[in-house]
This record gives sequence, structure tokens and C-alpha cells, in this order.
Amino acid sequence: MEEIMVMGTLGLSSVSPLSSSSSSSSSPTTTDNNNNINSSINNHPSSSSSSSCSSLCLSNVSTKRTDLSTDLRLGLSLSPSSQPIREQRSFDCWPPVKSTLRSTLVEESQTLLRGSSSSSSSLFVKVYMEGIPIGRKLNLRAHHSYHALVKALSHMFKTTILCPGSHQLPLKSGNVHVLTYEDQEGDWMMVGDVPWEMFLTSVKKLKITRADRC
Amino acid sequence: MKKTAYSFPEEVLEHVFSFIVSDKDRSSISLVCKSWYEIERWCRRKVFVGNCYAVSPPILIKRFPELRSVTLKGKPHFADFNLVPEGWGGFACPWIRAMAGAYPWLEEIRLKRMVVSDESLEIIAKSFKNFKVLVLSSCEGFTTEGLAAIAANCRNLRELDLRESEVEDLSGRWLSDFPDSYTSLESLNISCLGNEVNLLALERLVSRCPNLKTLRLNRAVPLDRLPNLLRGAPQLAELGTGAYTSEMRPDVFSNLAEAFAGCKQLKALSGFWDVLPSYLPAVYPVCSQLTSLNLSYATVQSPDLIKLVSLCEKLQKLWVLDYIEDDGLEILAASCKDLRELRVFPSDPFGLEPNVALTEQGLVSVSEGCPKLQSVLYFCRQMSNAALNTIARNRPNMTRFRLCIIEPRSPDYLTLQPLDDGFGAIVEHCKDLRRLSLSGLLTDRVFEYIGTYGKKLEMLSVAFAGDSDLGLHHVLSGCDNLRKLEIRDCPFGDKALLANAAKLETMRSLWMSSCSVSFGACKVLGQKMPRLNVEVMDESGPPDSRPESSPVEKLYVYRTVAGPRLDMPGFVWTMDDDSALRIS
Repeated sequence: MEEIMVMGTLGLSSVSPLSSSSSSSSSPTTTDNNNNINSSINNHPSSSSSSSCSSLCLSNVSTKRTDLSTDLRLGLSLSPSSQPIREQRSFDCWPPVKSTLRSTLVEESQTLLRGSSSSSSSLFVKVYMEGIPIGRKLNLRAHHSYHALVKALSHMFKTTILCPGSHQLPLKSGNVHVLTYEDQEGDWMMVGDVPWEMFLTSVKKLKITRADRC
Repeated sequence: MKKTAYSFPEEVLEHVFSFIVSDKDRSSISLVCKSWYEIERWCRRKVFVGNCYAVSPPILIKRFPELRSVTLKGKPHFADFNLVPEGWGGFACPWIRAMAGAYPWLEEIRLKRMVVSDESLEIIAKSFKNFKVLVLSSCEGFTTEGLAAIAANCRNLRELDLRESEVEDLSGRWLSDFPDSYTSLESLNISCLGNEVNLLALERLVSRCPNLKTLRLNRAVPLDRLPNLLRGAPQLAELGTGAYTSEMRPDVFSNLAEAFAGCKQLKALSGFWDVLPSYLPAVYPVCSQLTSLNLSYATVQSPDLIKLVSLCEKLQKLWVLDYIEDDGLEILAASCKDLRELRVFPSDPFGLEPNVALTEQGLVSVSEGCPKLQSVLYFCRQMSNAALNTIARNRPNMTRFRLCIIEPRSPDYLTLQPLDDGFGAIVEHCKDLRRLSLSGLLTDRVFEYIGTYGKKLEMLSVAFAGDSDLGLHHVLSGCDNLRKLEIRDCPFGDKALLANAAKLETMRSLWMSSCSVSFGACKVLGQKMPRLNVEVMDESGPPDSRPESSPVEKLYVYRTVAGPRLDMPGFVWTMDDDSALRIS
């Protein structure tokens, strides 16, 4: 459900297309005992939850991407909308494909298309927080920059996470975390060491670690 | 007759009962009379709990004091598709703790969609003297440390199956914790693990277990290590390969082909991650003996895919990506006359345009060519009533039919009509249908067909369908054997739910998300039906902070003899008698 939350904050999921205008023109034989519930309820709730992702003040976090030059040098696309966002497919968790198969397909397409932008609109990875045994799933493709990712994770885990590239030293280091990731080779790296698009092709999972332990 | 039954000594009845294995039959026996109930409960060795919140560990232990095998299921099925919020529940720990105290001779634990901690695995490893089978299917919450405890302590372990679980993979060393003297392994499934396991430890383990029949590796096991593993276990019946790619080298290929040819018992193949098609001919020698082929992780296209499938003439079960296309399914229909189960998954589920030539025609071909076909899961992008009608007439023996048309609310692409009549034909002709998933444009009419004909239906999944409460009412009032109903994004609401409240007690569970059920109705349901747990899930805040008439985000209703659960996270509210009163 992180997907909804995150997409909601980015304002992507408010579109509800295909609102079925077809009500059955000729309902088949209605028996007596059905009459009492022959209601017409039309207030079909939107499936997107409008959870507000706000409030968490990231005072220590630099809000600007600091090093754009790397991206430019590598000729990687900077625009977050470099691939069309499929607003008409805002159906959450549809089609019903298990995440094991989804992630395999994503990984395989990454293997095939490494370097170019993948055709998939979701890339689920697990996020682990130090001290919490259960990981949470996150759709990286719902974010378009390190900053948005860090913001979402800070909200999700209710903590302060240092933004990559920020050289500001935290005031109270005890409650500040940094984000690390495991790459395809199984090495743990600091998030932010490569351009965002390259990060998407190499990340396997994320881990939030206490800043004073790094 | 009655007298005769009573005149049997207990031991005789116990012996007779021991031949009755199905859970359902054992339950029926226990309902005959008080003495049969008593005898049955003392000799019950195996129990299945379809919902871990429907009963509590103390109740289970009190009734069945001598269990050897326990199967438990946790989260609702929709958790598979991320519809159940993280942290919902389904914790195995209270069960494991209680069983550790009550069943020192417990041999088997099978858990599905549950949260299992390392601590629980350690308790299992230390508490049960003769532990044999651990199946963790779609579970989460544990790491390879917990697995290490199992490996180190369970000397009689026969089966370790982690299918589709999310294991935090801290280290591949846990496999070397199986002691050198350990040889009882019969089945190992580590396909879900992310990291490389200790390959030397794996090879040694495989080669010293003479009864190993099932081995499912993970993606991190490289292809060039597979021949050695196979040579160590020529008796394998089921194999899941690791990554099926390597630099193309003639010696690697011949080595692999030779190893496969030595596996005379092989019946099932899966895995094939990152498949390099030029290595596929290595399995050709065993194809004619295969009954099960899972290629759902194999992004291989025709003609390689079609060639492989057409060689497997004894195939009973095929899982495959839609790269097989209509042409491949036609060849499947011509070659595999024994096929019972077909699953076709989408290779690009989120793409807007079709990336393959797979339509309704492929399924029509298989329904014509494979007379034993009874189980279908099929993802496609177009469907017609005519095709569904043909499929229904071709295969009245169908018991499981799940169709997913990828674009929600797609009509019959030929006539632009709803698909009501097509699915209607399925339920009408397939008299033994037990499981059905609907998709496409559907009105209330399809639910009338289902209620009228779906008398054996046990599980129904519905998404983006129906017009009104009438749809839900048809299903709840008509489907006599319905056990599980899961609904998302349908305009079904209070009236149908409340009018059929008593029906819910006969079912295992009802899931409704993004429907039109109001918070007020949930409260009424909870008050009216004290033996139901009515759980409202809302991640945006307490539902009583909004008007009673506003719809709830998610509703999960299940019968229970254990009362409301106590381990709810902050976003779940139960509508039991007390809390409902408190709120109102």
C-alpha cells in the first residue's frame, strides 16, 4: 500500500478513468426476495487513499539535488517525466500478478535493457530499517529523484534520513539515519553514489542505517 | 446400525478412522456423536487451519492433544497482490510458542502468508524432537539466521520449502550449518533467496542425501554448477534451476546435457532465470518424461519456447509467460493431450499495448485439444463471449477458471457487450467449478448466473464489476458452497451485506476493498453477528472520524471461535459488540 500513499503524494493517482457508465440495461429476472435490496449505489469510492505526506520536517536535509553535472556528463535524462507516466493505469495492485513474478520480470527487463529506460512502470524493492525485522515494499518508479525517495522513506519510517549529497552535519546524530542500498553484485553502497537512473538499474534492496554507525 | 457402531471398542474405531485422511471427512466424523468426537480428537494427527484468527492456539491444543502436523494460513489471499497493508498481522509466533509446549512430537509445520520471526524458527529448531517438514509459503519476517537454526538442529528434517517467501538474506552460509551426518533431506526449495548460497555446502548436502527428490535452487546458483549438482542427485524428481545462462561454451553445454540425461526420474522442471535459449536443448533428453514445467520466470520466446513445450508430451501442468502466444498454445494443444493445468502470465503486465500475439484464441485452442484441462489461469488483453462459450462447452470438466483481462472493464472486443454471457456459460456448463476469477466488463447479470449455477463454487474473486447491491446479493444468496469471496472496486454495499449476514458465518472469509460498504453497516454487522470478526482497515485514519455513511477503505470479515484478535495494528478496527457500542 506504500504505492498508493506515495503516488497520492505525487498527485498521480487521482485520475479515475473508465468510470463504467454502463449500468445493466436489462437486468435478468429479478425474484421477489431481491426487490428489497434493489438499490442503486453510485458513490463508488475512489481507490486512492489521500493520505497526507507532509509534516515531517526534514530540517537537516538539503532540498536541492546537489550534483547534476554527473547526470549531464553521462548523458542521462534528468527529466522525471522522461517516460510517460501512465495515469490511466492508476489501478492500484492491478493486474493481479504476484510480486515475486513482477520483480523477476522487472529484473529480467533490466538485464535486457540495462542502460536504457525500462518499459516497466513499477520497480518494487524491499526497504529494511535497522532494528525492525519486517521490510516494507516500495515502488522506486513512483519516485523521480533521490530527494523524493528520501522524503517518502522519512515519512514511512518516521525518522530523519540524510539526503545524499548533503554535507550538513546533523545536530543530534542519534536520531538521524542514512540510506544504503545493495547493488546487483551484493555490495552495500551509500545511496546517491551514482545518478538516479543508474541507481534504478543496480539497486536490489534498501537499508536505513543509523548515521552514527557509518 | 447405531447399536453396532456403539458396540465397537474405541481402539477399533480409532483404527478405522486412521484410514480417513481428508480433513473434511475427519470433521464429518467428529460430528456424528459425542463418543466419535472424543475418539476422533484423540487420534487426530494432522490439522488444517484456514485462518489463524478463526481459532486460538489454546482451543486447538485443548481439542487435539496429539497432533503431528499443523497447517496454518494467515493473511487474506489478496495480500499476494499487495492489497493487504504491511503489518496487518498473521503472526506465527503465538502459535509456535504454544505448540512448542503442547506438541513435543510435532513433525510438520506448514505456514502460508504468515509473519515468521527468527525467534519462531529457533523455537521450532529446539523444541520438536522429531521435526520433519517446514513449509513457509509466501511468509516473511525471518532471515537466514533463523534458517541456520533449523539446519543446525533438525536432524530428521525431510522438507524445507520457502516458496515465494521474503527472506532477509544475510548470508549464504546457513546451508553449511546442516551437520555432515545429516542425510535425511528429501525436498529443498530455496528459490526465493536473493543471495548466493554457499555452493560447496550445497553440493555436499545434495550429494549426501540419497532420498532428495525435490531441489529448487535460486537465481544466484550459476548454470555451470548445475551439472555437478545433478550428478550428485540423479534420483531427483523435481528440479528448479538457478540462472540458466552462461557464456556459450560447447563444453558447458555438453556437460549440462549429459547431466540432465542422467536424471531418469525427473518429472518437473522450473527456474530458468535469465534463460539463454541456446542452452535449452540440454534439457531435451528429459522432456518426454516431464509432467510439470514452470517457465513463468523464463523470458524465452518462440521458436525456442514452442520447441521445448512440444517435446513434453506427457505434460500435465504448464506455467508459462505469454511469449508462448496463440501459435504456441495451438501446438501445445496438439502435442500435450494430458494437460490438466495451464497458467499463462503476462510478460509486460503494465504495458498499454500488447507486446505479444496472445488472444482468446490460444485458450480456445487448448480447451479444444486438451480433454483433461481442468485448471486455468490466463492473462490476456482481449476476450469475447463467443470464446468463453466455446471454452465452456469444450471443457465442462473445468474446476478452476481464472481469467484476467488486463485492462479493467474491457467489453467483448467483437460486440462491445459485457462479458456476462461468456462467464455465465462457464458457470452453467462447468458443473464442478470450485474457483472462479472474473474480469472484463460485467454487470449484475453475471452474478445472477453465478448464483444460479455456481453451486459448487468455493472461491470467487471479483474486480471492477457489477452495478449494484443486487450483484453481491445473487452471489451470497445463491452460491451454497462459497467459502471465500474477495471483491475489489465494485459498487456493492450495505444492503446486500446485511441481508446476507448469516451466510457469512458459513464462509471462511469475505474481503471487500474500495467498495461501497459504510462504516455504519460494518458496526451493525459486528453487533448482529458476534461470531464474526468484522475488521475495518483504513490507513488514512479512524473510520469513526468520518460520517457513518462514508464507505470504508477495506473490510475483512471472517468467522471465528476465538473472539476479536488482540494484535491489530493501528489501522485496523474490529466491529465487535463492545467496540461498536463504544463508538456509537
